[in-house]
Amino acid sequence: MSFLTISNAGKVFGATTVVKGFDLSVQKGEFVSFLGPSGCGKTTVLRMIAGFERPTTGSIRIDGRDITDLAANKRRIGMVFQAYALFPNLNVAGNIAFGLRIAGQAASEIDARVDDMLRMIGLAHLGKRYPYELSGGQQQRVALARALAPRPQVLLLDEPLSALDAKIRVSLREEIRAIQRQLGITTVFVTHDQEEAMSISDRIVVMNGGRAEQIGTPFEIYNRPATRFVAGFVGTMNILRARLDRGQPQTITVAGQKLRLAAPPVTQDAQGNLSLALRPEALSLTRAEGHDSTFTGQVQSVNFMGSVVRIRMQVNDELISFDMFNSPNMVPPVIGQTALAHFASRDLFELAA
Amino acid sequence: MKKPVPYAAIAIALIGASYFVVPLLATFYFSLKMTRGELGFAAYASVFRSADFAATIVYSTIASLAAIAIGTLVIVPTAYWVRLKVPRLRPLMEFISLLPLIVPPVVLVFGYIRMFGSSSVLPLTASTFGTDILLVLGYVVLSMPYMYRAIDNGLSVIDIATLTEAAESLGASRFRTIVLVIFPNVRAAIISGAFLTFSISLGEFVLASLLNRPAFGPYLVQLGQDRAYEPAALAIMSFAFTWGCMALMQLFAIRKPGQRWFSRSTPRTATGSSA
Repeated sequence: MSFLTISNAGKVFGATTVVKGFDLSVQKGEFVSFLGPSGCGKTTVLRMIAGFERPTTGSIRIDGRDITDLAANKRRIGMVFQAYALFPNLNVAGNIAFGLRIAGQAASEIDARVDDMLRMIGLAHLGKRYPYELSGGQQQRVALARALAPRPQVLLLDEPLSALDAKIRVSLREEIRAIQRQLGITTVFVTHDQEEAMSISDRIVVMNGGRAEQIGTPFEIYNRPATRFVAGFVGTMNILRARLDRGQPQTITVAGQKLRLAAPPVTQDAQGNLSLALRPEALSLTRAEGHDSTFTGQVQSVNFMGSVVRIRMQVNDELISFDMFNSPNMVPPVIGQTALAHFASRDLFELAA
Repeated sequence: MKKPVPYAAIAIALIGASYFVVPLLATFYFSLKMTRGELGFAAYASVFRSADFAATIVYSTIASLAAIAIGTLVIVPTAYWVRLKVPRLRPLMEFISLLPLIVPPVVLVFGYIRMFGSSSVLPLTASTFGTDILLVLGYVVLSMPYMYRAIDNGLSVIDIATLTEAAESLGASRFRTIVLVIFPNVRAAIISGAFLTFSISLGEFVLASLLNRPAFGPYLVQLGQDRAYEPAALAIMSFAFTWGCMALMQLFAIRKPGQRWFSRSTPRTATGSSA
């Protein structure tokens, strides 16, 4: 049975529908990320779980209890905000103790819990400092400890890493995941950074236009995007227009070249047109085992990106990107050169509209 | 290259300062001349010896402190609520807060006398205590432009929406959020507003005079009519008091939570463990 259940949740602000028909079930201890562009409704759903927004339609249940109409301060939900939101008048220990004091716990219990939390976030020596004396990363760790101190049922993280620099973002997200695993707390994380979502989530909810476009593991979302939006939003994807050959249910024409699919397609329209997707890393300049198809085209650009080199190749009317691992011994193709990009036709997948 | 000395700017500053300082020095000099043929603090001693001085200043101090308490309790939650829930009403609130600067105090006090006179439903002027309440409420209204602005500015520098949500997610009710989060974080603004309220209320004349209360303002005016040197001494003391208030406002405004009153030799910064 799921621990957190959102059923048919919708939210309307004036004439604008921000969230519509949102359904999600989260298991106890699961780490779920809401991923999507700005304005897709991910933060609104999070705020509905927190109790800061009341759903216009639908319901939210935690551990079987309907909390749709429950006030935010009665939900026992911990939240970490993008802007840290530490109380400026309280020092680190005071911030962490805030929720425990509100709950009326004894001073000795509060002190012990605060010490535990400080040790957990590795800031045991900074308990007496004030927020303005901490770096952004330290402040966010304190915010995490403050949210976890009262032992909430669910932890909500609203883009907690967005305000931090790249290096700290990576180390802190690993720390958050480690703490979440250690405590086994059900967690919902909002981000617009796909790499962040991929790296720490059990499951990802890709949102667009107030709806969940796809819910799945990072592996499923990345390798089998269900819609054109998910394919375009998560990672880089070659989206190709194809046409099914009449009388040959597994043969298609893509970029003027005939390919044979592993199985007959199912999403073509009445004229036999369909959309196919192919990840850049599925293509290679050298033929490898399993590669049964090849695009021939002219190199348009070569971008050195450190560990990989991204090449764009014009194949008739399609611009196809593909990646190759950087190697000191490898000479990348030059612009204007005719090149062959090999791939396995089973790596092509159909996109729903 | 050495910067040229800005003689013109210094001259303008000195002329501007002299416009303010010369009359003050002249008043101070005059206040020292009470005893014929010598300079001394006889006028100051005379003021302090006066029983009326002590009685009126104690009365006005109590009334001013009551006005500060009521003003803070009314204006902080109001300004907080407007910013949090109905920010579109802020221009209206600012206009309302400025009304005491537009409507003269004499209009306010006659309104009070008509509304709360002995023949009204709530005859506050029928008793001394009731009239004291009216006076304090009048002080709250007169200081509202300064108190509201100070507190609204204080609220503008903290993210009250997120802090409120953070407090609520930790189980705090709206009341406890205001008491434990909002009040402490606008403390400097409240203190600024309080000092301004105190400065305005302490020497206020119109309300106290027309409500016939034994306040410091009417005493000052009466003294000015009856004596020569004591009013000058009182004027200097008032200036000193106002400047003291302004210095305290500055001190509270720039002090951060947990900061010592006198800074350490080496400041603490965001260092230590990994970010």
